[in-house]
Amino acid sequence: MRVRALQVVSIVALVAAWEAAARLGWVDAAFVPAPSAVVHALGTIGDRALGGLGDTLAKTAIAYAIAVVLGVSLGIVVGSVRVLRDVLNPFVIAAYGIPKILILPWIILLTGFGTTPAILYGTLHATFPIMLLVIGGVRDVDRTLITVARAYGASTWQLYWKVILPAVVPSMLAGMRLGIVFCLLGVLVVEMFAGVRGMGAVMGALANGFKAPELFAATALVSAASIAIVLSLDWLNDRLSHWRDQ
Amino acid sequence: MTVAAIRLALVLALVLAWEGAARFSNPLLSAPPSVVLPALVRVLTLDSYPELPRHLLVTAREIAIAYAMAVLAGLAIGFALGLYRTLGRAYGPILAALYAVPAVVWYPSLMLFFGLDSSSKIAFGFLLGFFPITLAVLAGIRQVSPQLVTVARAFGATPLTTFVKVMVPAMMFTLVGGLRTGLALTVIGVIVGEILGSRQGIGSLINHAYGLLRTADYVALVLVTLVLIVASDALASLVEHRAQRWSE
Repeated sequence: MRVRALQVVSIVALVAAWEAAARLGWVDAAFVPAPSAVVHALGTIGDRALGGLGDTLAKTAIAYAIAVVLGVSLGIVVGSVRVLRDVLNPFVIAAYGIPKILILPWIILLTGFGTTPAILYGTLHATFPIMLLVIGGVRDVDRTLITVARAYGASTWQLYWKVILPAVVPSMLAGMRLGIVFCLLGVLVVEMFAGVRGMGAVMGALANGFKAPELFAATALVSAASIAIVLSLDWLNDRLSHWRDQ
Repeated sequence: MTVAAIRLALVLALVLAWEGAARFSNPLLSAPPSVVLPALVRVLTLDSYPELPRHLLVTAREIAIAYAMAVLAGLAIGFALGLYRTLGRAYGPILAALYAVPAVVWYPSLMLFFGLDSSSKIAFGFLLGFFPITLAVLAGIRQVSPQLVTVARAFGATPLTTFVKVMVPAMMFTLVGGLRTGLALTVIGVIVGEILGSRQGIGSLINHAYGLLRTADYVALVLVTLVLIVASDALASLVEHRAQRWSE
């Protein structure tokens, strides 16, 4: 209760102070627009922003679907074959860790401006964290489970489908939660760098046009969308891993 | 030994495949290693980009300032939220929600506010580095066993002594891990910022080479940047291992 009150009070205080600072001219309203102006701008950019957001989310969904399939399947293969895991793990860590923006110009050169580079780059961002966590999950599968399944005559197919896959579900879900944020980030970066459509392009145009209230409104909209997506994934995660605690 | 040999063979095969593929494609779009290598030599001898050291210094300075700010703010806010439970319960979830937003969302606003020069890159690098450091401090504090703190206090240790002698060593492992992640993300933030729009720094050179379709120079500059990133991470990893060994 006290906690909730503190949250509400500090957010209200922050917004009020911000509004006052903008109204009284303590900060330049051209750069830091008052919250009321941002709310107003939310109405004026509505259609354009929602269109851009829809475009961005559609690209993200495609990239994410590809990344999950690639990340999980490659992760299971690399994780369960000892030689592959030993050889490839450092490469996967490196691919996860290096700033992929360095190869973005080249991706744009190869695939042009538009939807393809956004999907490609989003996929690139999301695949490696998922793969890395699935590799770890497969590596840590209880050896006893595998030995017992083998001893009772499970085929390789049954071993993967009935033992290994269920055992890696938690790390897969953790990877997917990490992956969605990276995926959205990748798509937005491409749209900002070379986009003609999508929320990143809209935000880039608003920034270049010095339309601060509209830019803040667009930023708030994307943030809200991405928080909503992550929270629903968390909820799904809880539902799916419910049985494990019992 | 064999693992290292297979890795080496894999890298060699990749380089050969790159050479083969690039020779048969549009030379404007792809540069084979045999073309990149001379370009790399010209970049390193400051032949093609005589201003390279100055741009590298600009980038290094941005990273240093952003990281210093991220460490200070991350430690201060992390400890404030971790040690005062009401604060932590109130603001922790807000922080976690903000962390779920892809950080690049903030970049246009930062660019509008701070302009195209170093400040917007510093602000973005700070933002990216701040979150993992703060979250590592919070996670570290949760790991400290309450018994240790109670015993220390019972034996008459002051709050400060308890903090320095009991809490910090107990959470060192997580803390330095967070500091290392923070550095990696600050570096990424500054470079992303420079590539999305800048007039100085290594990112602006990369954009320049790419914009003029000087693909070999572009690849060479990317390689130089990668070496610097890997070197900074190796240094951070060395410090991390030192600190972790000290805490054990």
